[in-house]
Amino acid sequence: MLINIPNSLIILLTVLFAALTLMLLAPTKHYTKNRGFIISFAALSFALLFGIREPTHSFAEYLYGDIFSNMLIDDTFSRLFIQLFLVGTILTLLVGRSYIQRANFFQAESFSLIFFTLFGMILMSMANEFLTAFIALEISSLSIYILIGIHRSDIKASEAFFKYLILGSFVGAFYLLGMMLIYAQAHTTNFIELSRYILASDFQDQYLIIAGGLLLMITIMFKIAALPFGVWSLDVYDGAPLPITSFMAGTFKIAIFALTLRIFLVDYSFLVNIYDPLLVGAAVITMVGGSFLTITQSSIKRMLAGSSIVHSGYILIGLASMGILGSTAAPSVLFYLIAYFVSAIGAFGVLSYLSLGEEKNITYDSLKGLSKQHPVLALTLSIFMLSLAGFPSTIGFLGKFYVFNSAIEANYTWLALLGALSAFISIYYYFKVISMIYFYDEPKEETARFNIVNYKTLSDKITLISIVLASMGVIWGGIGSSLLSFLPGPDAITLATEHAIRSLSLLL
Amino acid sequence: MLSLMIFIPIVTSILLFVLPQSLKVTRSLSLIASFAVMFVSFVLYSQFEAIGTMQFVEHYSWIDRYGISYHIGIDGVSLPLAMMVAILMPAVGIGLYHRNKTGFWLNLLLAQGGIMGALLALDMMLFYLFWETMLLPIFFMIGLYGYGRKHFISMKFTIYTIFGSLIMLIGILFIGNIYHEQFGVYSFSLLELQNIKLSHSEGLFAFFAFMIAFAIKVPMFPFHTWLSDTYRSAPTGAVVVMSALMAKLGVYAIWRFLFTLFYETSYELAPYFIAVGLFGLIFFGIVAMHQNHLKRLFAYSSASHLSLIVVGIFIFDIYGLLGSSYFIAAHALSSGALFIMVGMLYERTHTHSMDALGGIAERAPLFALLFAFLSLSIVGIPGTPGFVSEILIVLGAFNYNIYIGLITTTTILVAILFMFSMLSKTIYGPAHNPKMKFHDLKPLELASLIPLVLLIIVMGIFPNLFLDKIKPTAELHIEITSKNITKTIEKGDVSNVN
Repeated sequence: MLINIPNSLIILLTVLFAALTLMLLAPTKHYTKNRGFIISFAALSFALLFGIREPTHSFAEYLYGDIFSNMLIDDTFSRLFIQLFLVGTILTLLVGRSYIQRANFFQAESFSLIFFTLFGMILMSMANEFLTAFIALEISSLSIYILIGIHRSDIKASEAFFKYLILGSFVGAFYLLGMMLIYAQAHTTNFIELSRYILASDFQDQYLIIAGGLLLMITIMFKIAALPFGVWSLDVYDGAPLPITSFMAGTFKIAIFALTLRIFLVDYSFLVNIYDPLLVGAAVITMVGGSFLTITQSSIKRMLAGSSIVHSGYILIGLASMGILGSTAAPSVLFYLIAYFVSAIGAFGVLSYLSLGEEKNITYDSLKGLSKQHPVLALTLSIFMLSLAGFPSTIGFLGKFYVFNSAIEANYTWLALLGALSAFISIYYYFKVISMIYFYDEPKEETARFNIVNYKTLSDKITLISIVLASMGVIWGGIGSSLLSFLPGPDAITLATEHAIRSLSLLL
Repeated sequence: MLSLMIFIPIVTSILLFVLPQSLKVTRSLSLIASFAVMFVSFVLYSQFEAIGTMQFVEHYSWIDRYGISYHIGIDGVSLPLAMMVAILMPAVGIGLYHRNKTGFWLNLLLAQGGIMGALLALDMMLFYLFWETMLLPIFFMIGLYGYGRKHFISMKFTIYTIFGSLIMLIGILFIGNIYHEQFGVYSFSLLELQNIKLSHSEGLFAFFAFMIAFAIKVPMFPFHTWLSDTYRSAPTGAVVVMSALMAKLGVYAIWRFLFTLFYETSYELAPYFIAVGLFGLIFFGIVAMHQNHLKRLFAYSSASHLSLIVVGIFIFDIYGLLGSSYFIAAHALSSGALFIMVGMLYERTHTHSMDALGGIAERAPLFALLFAFLSLSIVGIPGTPGFVSEILIVLGAFNYNIYIGLITTTTILVAILFMFSMLSKTIYGPAHNPKMKFHDLKPLELASLIPLVLLIIVMGIFPNLFLDKIKPTAELHIEITSKNITKTIEKGDVSNVN
């Protein structure tokens, strides 16, 4: 075994190496999609081998602090997120495999771009410094921009690409401005030094830091698709190819939250009273507005995109209830992220499986009679819908349970009620999918049906199996108990999230 | 043992879903499952001791971090309802033997397991899990096998009910957090949550958060607007489950959770709920008189009687409580059997409209006899358990207040009015369509109905046989709550107690 090299560095290097390999391999004649897949999986599994270890305690240390001058932190928090990114990427690729195999616009560079995104995300979760975090954010964002527009001949994809690129770069400027203000006051961009500064100085002297924090918040709100900054997400999620949409909604969003949680908990938890009204307001607007946006959609993909806004709203409830380190709010946010990510990847995965590798508009009506055409897909899609709706016995319910609980714990009972209300609205659009699947007969015309009967290739089978596994995970995450101790149930996830949150305060 | 009663149906249902079988196999297996549950319930009944506390308790940890556990148990008040679930479901299965959709049977089993789970749960989160889960099979049954605008109706019903449940979830979390504040750890166990002390406004908030969910399920006035649509479109199996079992579960939950957790608030608000109950009793009765659709008539008749049960619970009297819990069982039995017969009627005539029927007694005397008997047992003629429990409730109401006692007696009058007019229109009188064929009950149908009818008679004539098992729990409950309430009155916390 390699001595004294932290696992996270090995993972980081593996991912980088895989990205470069794929990039260099892509233009050669040795490249085929299959080989791209194999290399990707090999790299991801190798990385996961080092990352999978369950955290039994909290730890935190600088990653080669003397070389990188304390820019990167290796702690339980980042380890947990790295695991999530790796699992998320693997799941996205597995679930999207059938789509990617069929879609001819997924060309050689796509795998490399995914790995660059992953690299950026891992870096983001470890960043202990504003500039590093920004660079990491941009590495992953730029790759995501390209991935969104990878279907060049599709006008919707190009529109989405352009919209996201321009808005994203514009919003990036707010981050830089905020960072500048903070630096002007505290003379540091290091998170931990900044938190020491905030603790040591008077409240009156911190106006620039507070203002800078506000600007940072704008960028973050934009990136997590919280209203009023998140209206891009409907068009962008809709325009992007399905596997990429699921990658964005599931994995990439988590990465933003990794950064958010670190900044918020390490630095701004002391100033929580100032930001609380804003976060609460954002949560309210996001949930209510998101519900209105979602309820009017007729395309499933747009509906899921809109509902992803609503889910950001629930997470904002958690953020708003997060006062001090050690409360249940922070782990509950993490748990919610995990719950949402499994369900969303699954739901998008079913859509991508159904859409035959081309961008066809799947509406509520086109799902009619799916239960007769493909019972397995129908069941799994229903399970994902139930989980997104927060129906008990799925992981989505426990996510909502923890978030609402933390809101009540922070004396925001009315906010929890509002959350319950928007969950209630969400019942409509999620159950509508289920009712379409089961209650209606399949369309008469041959063209309106999904042509999935001929799905016989290996990649289709891989996709199907991973979708089924994901749906079983959703159920297990909801009802799994500590009776079967060899399988980590919800309790184990909560424990892991608590360790992760605790590790944030170790270096303070 | 209790777990068996919950999970035999659920596991069978899931297995049959994952490994689809032919209709015959599915049907027989689900019948076997429900008979197995019935057998277990008989064993349970014979071993049940007439003491007031929880018995057959099972307790496993589930989510330790939040003190959520798999915790179930049974006492005298949940026993009658549990027995009814176990006895009715095989009867439903036999009575509706000719349902030729496998999904129907699976959903029926799932609903049975869910109801049993919610009934036996002693942990709030476990209760919530089952409370929501039992909704799913009903959603599918209405949407798949219903009549009329079934897609719309199943959606409406689901959304309506989930609205209540989500508010209740917030209520559960709310009291869980109060427990956390007062005792330093999280717990959602009913027995531990009893110890929390709530301020007046906290009590009100939590009480109403729960009450909305239960009031929708029962339904109590004014949350009854889902009722008539849903009963009309739902297939017979779903109607039996909803009216005979799920609605009763709502009343049971009011007693089990509201009266255990918020007895002060419940006691304080009791006059209002008695008023709502009495109003509902008469209002639903009058609405029922004007129905022409059989299922809707029975829907409103159930709602009327359930309002009486609610009154019986809220008068805080040993007779009221005894009568209510006995009425829950009695009404479940009678209305379940009656709805099965409505299903048979529909199989023969393909109509639910009372105007289109009539003159059945001439052509099918046996059918007419049983139908009339079951209808009258719902009204509560002497010799049926309905009579016993109505008398008990009325007695309790007189103890509480003489005027309220007087109003409760109208229940028999109201019920007689709509039941007799229904009977004269559908069963007796001239046939609307003399050429219509109507064959009498077949052996299989008799096999499902006769045991229920016999049980009704036994329960009506020898009520003490059954009441003895309920009584200790009711006494214990009244004793505890009255002690607590006198304590609070002495402290002067509750001002408007009459």
